Amino acid sequence: MANIKELRGRITSVTNIAKITKAMEMVASMKLRKVQARTMAFKPYTREIRGQMSHLAEFVGQDAVLPLFVAREVKTTGIFVVTSDRGLCGAYNSNMMLKVTNYVREVKAQHPDRKFKFYVYGKKGYSYLYRRDYEIERFFAEPPLDKAGYPAAKMVVEDLVTAFQGGGIDEVLVGHTAFESAARFAPNLEPFLPLTSAPEPGIDSEHRMRLDYLLEPDAETVLNRMVPRFLETVIYDAMLSSFASEQAARRMAMKGATDAAGRMGKELRQIYNRARQESITKELLDIIGGAAAVS
Amino acid sequence: MTKTMHLRIVTPQEVLLDEDVRSVQFMGIDGSYGILPGHAPLMTATEPGVVTIKYEDDRREELMVSDGFAEMRNNTLTLVCEAGTFAEKIDLERARAAEARAREHLAQRGSLSSEELLRAEAALRRALVRQRLGRRRGGTGSIH
Repeated sequence: MANIKELRGRITSVTNIAKITKAMEMVASMKLRKVQARTMAFKPYTREIRGQMSHLAEFVGQDAVLPLFVAREVKTTGIFVVTSDRGLCGAYNSNMMLKVTNYVREVKAQHPDRKFKFYVYGKKGYSYLYRRDYEIERFFAEPPLDKAGYPAAKMVVEDLVTAFQGGGIDEVLVGHTAFESAARFAPNLEPFLPLTSAPEPGIDSEHRMRLDYLLEPDAETVLNRMVPRFLETVIYDAMLSSFASEQAARRMAMKGATDAAGRMGKELRQIYNRARQESITKELLDIIGGAAAVS
Repeated sequence: MTKTMHLRIVTPQEVLLDEDVRSVQFMGIDGSYGILPGHAPLMTATEPGVVTIKYEDDRREELMVSDGFAEMRNNTLTLVCEAGTFAEKIDLERARAAEARAREHLAQRGSLSSEELLRAEAALRRALVRQRLGRRRGGTGSIH
């Protein structure tokens, strides 16, 4: 009965896979819980820094001139994108990369001469772009995202700002997976450099008229302090929320896999039992038939 | 004139404070600021130092913050800093150790890059402010 033996083997491997995916699901849950707390605690800070930056930015041009605010003709676009180092997290990486490559395709359709340079965090994004022959300017392998803190964000910002100021890239976009909750996260691509002094949506113009700020000591001093902090905060937020999204995606993917393995194991067991019963019946019939022939 | 204003102190780790207060004092980039309710909209960068808060019930509280930004708007003062510690939570031992470390660093200033030098100086300043604040809670020494 080779069939029965084969079935038994498959049942064992399916249950083993279920055990592994279950373990991975639990690991991802733990990591998610930790990083989710950090991500959520960081949100008010990001919101405040973004808000203050947008208020400050309105003084640019009238009271201060800063190179990072100057837009120029775009020949080369730099895209910083955050992905994961490891797979088995569902469509997390491909969603992010699709968002980016679709954007590139759209822009290329309108501006065929536009060049793109990539700054990548995460092995998955790197190999995705590498296989498709995109120009990768820099691949951040260290530190891994789960150990990356503010210094890592600073390093990224320095790279991007240097390239922007040196003329290697004329604008920078940041692609990351925005984390809303464990069940809600979506890839996001937003402009980073040059900084804009455009007002934040949601602040109506009447309100803005009343924002007659005192800036101490002056706009330039405060902006010089604010801009690096702002850039680092945006990048760090991108890294943190991407990592949280990765864990959430992995947990969901592994839960799906565990459930599917459970269902499959059940089906296989039914087939196996039926086959086993059939063979027993057949054997019994043989014995009874044999006994009848003898007597 | 309103009697109170709202104070929010936000750090990357947590929202340290979110309460109605009567006055706030903090170190700005160009000197000490005292903010009272109804202050005109203001924005400035802050230096590492002590924030003194007076609550509605005349209770005073002090905390140490690192550099950041302050924004006064709609009768709400928001301090956004890298880090902050309430005075009663300051660990004097740790602050002393940090001071020793920073002084050690500075002793070999010849071999330091300018960035390392700046960092060591900042660390020393932080450690000193921390100690002053910690001691003051103990009743000796003064802040200024």
